[in-house]
Amino acid sequence: MTITDVVKILDGKLIAGDASSPRVVGAVVANDLMSDVLLNDADDILLLTSLASDQSIRTAHIVGAMGVVIHNAKPLSETMIKVANDLAIPLVSSPLSKYDACVRLHDAFVAEERA
Amino acid sequence: MNAREIAEKTGGALAVGSGDEVASCVYVGDLLSDVMGHAGEDCALVTIQNHLNTIAVCTLVGCQVIVLCHDRPVPPDMAEGAAREEVAIVTTPLSQYEVALALSSLPPSKK
Amino acid sequence: MEYNPVILQGQHTSDDEILARTPLDAKALGGDSSEIIMELLQRFKVRDVMKRQVISIPRKATLRDAQRLMRDNRISGLPVSENGRLYGIVSVNDIINGLDGCWMDEACESHMAKNLVVLEAGMPLAFALRYFNNYTYGRFPVLDSDRKLVGIVSQRDVMRALLYELSVEIRKLERKTSPKGDQVRQEAKENFFRKEWAVVHNDLSRAGHAANAIKGILRERKIDRTIVRRVAVAAYELEINICIHSHGGVIVLLISDDKITITAKDRGPGIPDIEWACRDGTSTANDWIRSMGFGAGMGLSNSKRVADEFTIQSEVGKFTKVVCVYNIPHAQQAAEGGAQA
Repeated sequence: MTITDVVKILDGKLIAGDASSPRVVGAVVANDLMSDVLLNDADDILLLTSLASDQSIRTAHIVGAMGVVIHNAKPLSETMIKVANDLAIPLVSSPLSKYDACVRLHDAFVAEERA
Repeated sequence: MNAREIAEKTGGALAVGSGDEVASCVYVGDLLSDVMGHAGEDCALVTIQNHLNTIAVCTLVGCQVIVLCHDRPVPPDMAEGAAREEVAIVTTPLSQYEVALALSSLPPSKK
Repeated sequence: MEYNPVILQGQHTSDDEILARTPLDAKALGGDSSEIIMELLQRFKVRDVMKRQVISIPRKATLRDAQRLMRDNRISGLPVSENGRLYGIVSVNDIINGLDGCWMDEACESHMAKNLVVLEAGMPLAFALRYFNNYTYGRFPVLDSDRKLVGIVSQRDVMRALLYELSVEIRKLERKTSPKGDQVRQEAKENFFRKEWAVVHNDLSRAGHAANAIKGILRERKIDRTIVRRVAVAAYELEINICIHSHGGVIVLLISDDKITITAKDRGPGIPDIEWACRDGTSTANDWIRSMGFGAGMGLSNSKRVADEFTIQSEVGKFTKVVCVYNIPHAQQAAEGGAQA
């Protein structure tokens, strides 16, 4: 599942970063507290969060995440978009709640495995 | 779904409450302002925010069940507040993502 | 029975508490306003603008006592408190209901609002504004770090303080524009590389800068990915710690032949109980910090977890210094010049 797939599954929009990135989701982390995200050792994390601030992008960069999704269609500041572009972190805005996104991503993983 | 069933489904334990507290939808969130703005009535709040203020937010949005992830401890003032406001607290070793999948038979919270 | 107002703290200030219902659009202030306002909103704390003279009433006083006190002092919300501990608030609505339902002679404690939303004295104004926006209350009681009632703040208090400070700032700006120097110092000698970043207190918009830069530097030097991630996690947590808990400080990166060292040193207030602070899940953070996605009480334990050596020193009122050391395996060094292993 690439960032483009994520955008489709979550009815989202890619706001920053490279749509053609070949990286695939290694683990899904749904969290708004960044220390908890930093605790995670997984590679290629897709971070689902409601924290619409630079800090979610910076945290994603530190853990080498493959993308960040901001939920509930929260408005994203220009500086946040700039930080995402500077640090090359794909940033997705989705109208879905985190819960809805977790369930849909999981369903897509299951479908992917069957295929 | 009641708190007892939620504890079972998430491999967790009922830390506070009778177990009969009900949730008819789910909201996942750790930022209280975000929960205030988006969580609907009768949702199960899935969070790692083990803080007294979480209880205040639950009473404001009308949520009766908190699912505390990553086995975060329940501080005494939070437990007291929850008991007073009749909010159940379920603690589970699972992450927010895993709890979401465990409860996926419930619809998302609408507000 | 007459109740005398209980003055909790501070000198007498003129009262214009009266129904301060001017809606203040926090979004307008937060979204399109100039940097000066944002800076003021961060720099000024609730304690700087709150009213310190709090008129309160004990729990056993009747609603009629409360009504009298509110009328005489022309206030619309009355904290119910004893010895600094806040139990509830009696509002005009509670009085109206009391008159309507004929329970004016009953005790305040049985009719006051008990599920209170409060502000903490140390929170930035930016955060207080979000509370006014989210909860639609006209005022909030303010508690200090010992949970004692120390003041009350209305939207009008915030507005007045902001307008005053804004005029002061504008006057200052007219006189001079202060240049922002490059706050990064770098030293590279033969056998070590050293770079430091200044971390400003409460400037969460820039926090993480140093950690992101450190990750870039280590990657460029082809250090093993897992080590880079461990160093970056500690640098980030420590940077955030300085930003939210101290009065400012520095993050220093030192790379020698076989070690990477991250040092975080700050000025005040220090940590009284280091063992407690290093434990997982313990935190002194307030709502403002939590709303920024931090303050889960995992910063120090996270930093400790990822480092090969971890030391912390602190003196209350003076400083905190945390050092994280990472060993670079020899095979790694060999790879440093050439292709990545």
